[in-house]
Amino acid sequence: MAKLLLYLTLATSLIPLFSVAFSPENPTDRRVLVLVDDFAIKSSHSLYFGSLTSRGFQLEFKLADDPNIGLQRYGQYLYDALVLFCPSVERFGGSIDVASIVDFVDSGHDLIVAADSNASDLIREVATECGVDFDEDPAAMVIDHINYAVSNFDGDHTLIASDDFIKADAPVLFQGIGHSLNPANSLVLKVLSASSSAYSANPKSKLSNPPSLTGSAISLVSVVQARNNARILITGSLSMFSNRFFRSGVQKAGSSIKHEKSGNEQFLTEISKWVFHERGHLKAVNVRHHKVGESDEPAIYRINDDLEYSVEIYEWSGTSWEPYVSDDVQVQFYMMSPYVLKTLSTDQKGHYSAEFKVPDVYGVFQFKVEYQRLGYTSLSLSKQIPVRPYRHNEYERFLPAAYPYYGSAFSMMAGFFIFTIVHLYSK
Amino acid sequence: MARSTGKDAQALFHSLRSAYAATPTTLKIIDLYVGFAVFTALIQVVYMAIVGSFPFNSFLSGVLSCVGTAVLAVCLRIQVNKDNKEFKDLPPERAFADFVLCNLVLHLVIMNFLG
Repeated sequence: MAKLLLYLTLATSLIPLFSVAFSPENPTDRRVLVLVDDFAIKSSHSLYFGSLTSRGFQLEFKLADDPNIGLQRYGQYLYDALVLFCPSVERFGGSIDVASIVDFVDSGHDLIVAADSNASDLIREVATECGVDFDEDPAAMVIDHINYAVSNFDGDHTLIASDDFIKADAPVLFQGIGHSLNPANSLVLKVLSASSSAYSANPKSKLSNPPSLTGSAISLVSVVQARNNARILITGSLSMFSNRFFRSGVQKAGSSIKHEKSGNEQFLTEISKWVFHERGHLKAVNVRHHKVGESDEPAIYRINDDLEYSVEIYEWSGTSWEPYVSDDVQVQFYMMSPYVLKTLSTDQKGHYSAEFKVPDVYGVFQFKVEYQRLGYTSLSLSKQIPVRPYRHNEYERFLPAAYPYYGSAFSMMAGFFIFTIVHLYSK
Repeated sequence: MARSTGKDAQALFHSLRSAYAATPTTLKIIDLYVGFAVFTALIQVVYMAIVGSFPFNSFLSGVLSCVGTAVLAVCLRIQVNKDNKEFKDLPPERAFADFVLCNLVLHLVIMNFLG
């Protein structure tokens, strides 16, 4: 009987632990749905999936046209992130379609989309909803006759070795379609772009007119961070994630350096960390403001008060919240336009504070912190506070500018007094 | 012509001085008092011209105290002057009492308006 009770309490106390996934306290995604064209991808891309599971993700593999798949049930989302490794799917099964994927992202969840040279219209549509446009020619691939990787079996220079980014040990192998970004879109970012000698065309047929996508306007890998901090990774090469590319060595044509291992594994591991909110995720807590010298938060300020504003910002390290250190966080004292804009100073432990004087204008203000930096979630804090003018007895009693007038009035009184004495008592 | 106007001005000034020396001391004291009030008023106007009229009520109060004092003193001088035929029957004590009362009211108003 006691043992049963023990097991029961243990079981019930562990239930909340199982549900702590993707909460504000732990922003890394946990449950990931991977949609594939066929389950062979599970084994041919096992190194990539293995790296994800070793970091604690629960992957669920389903065929893209499986009629039982669904992102949500009874209004609750079943997964924290979605990976679409199904470039040739014509129609999603179950309750998934482009609209439900867009809703999934709109509710703050992350997405990885990998297309390939036989990408269907559906995948292209999903990518367009996210802000990138794949090349419209269905048979086009990215070709680069200068930066291609030397290999035994490819003769058409579609296997590209790209090293147009910083801090990778070896170039990244890419074989697939390219996409372009709208330069007016401020949310989408090119992570890996093709070199200026690349173009997007059908490798098997002769070029009849100049290709529409050329040079470094072609993006090979892009990321999007939405305004609700959902992150999307879009790439045109599913084979970039494959074991074959992970393991193969790279030798760029024309150079004699032969790298033992391509940079694919390192690059994709790091970028998956970013997409699934293991890095670059900020939270701001403990917004406080008070008059200098006091410690409790007043409900209203007076003009020309000295006040102090403080906030704590932490960055998620994958396992815990570390203090975020930066010198460019600013606070605005805002009413229709910022009256005060001050850079917060930090004590290097995540505590930011600033002191300033309330402006000489009364009204309802807001303390606003708008912090958007490349690679980090955007912080948008706002706290409303009214500001009142002086009460009638808070003005200065005697104005220094009027001292001569005070003096003259009193001197007239004194003069009058002396004059009466003199006038009365003189002969 | 200029020399004669210069000489005329000098002659005028001399006759004025000698005539003024003949006035009674009492009146001279009142004249001194009026001069003091007007001088103080001028100082305040120059100060306002330099610094600006910010507490305008204080400026008005200060200037008007000087001007009011001068005006009341002039009234007293008129009423007390024995050569003045209009106020021959007015006792100088009555004139002085009026002067004191009016000054009291003036200073009450000035103190209120000074701010």
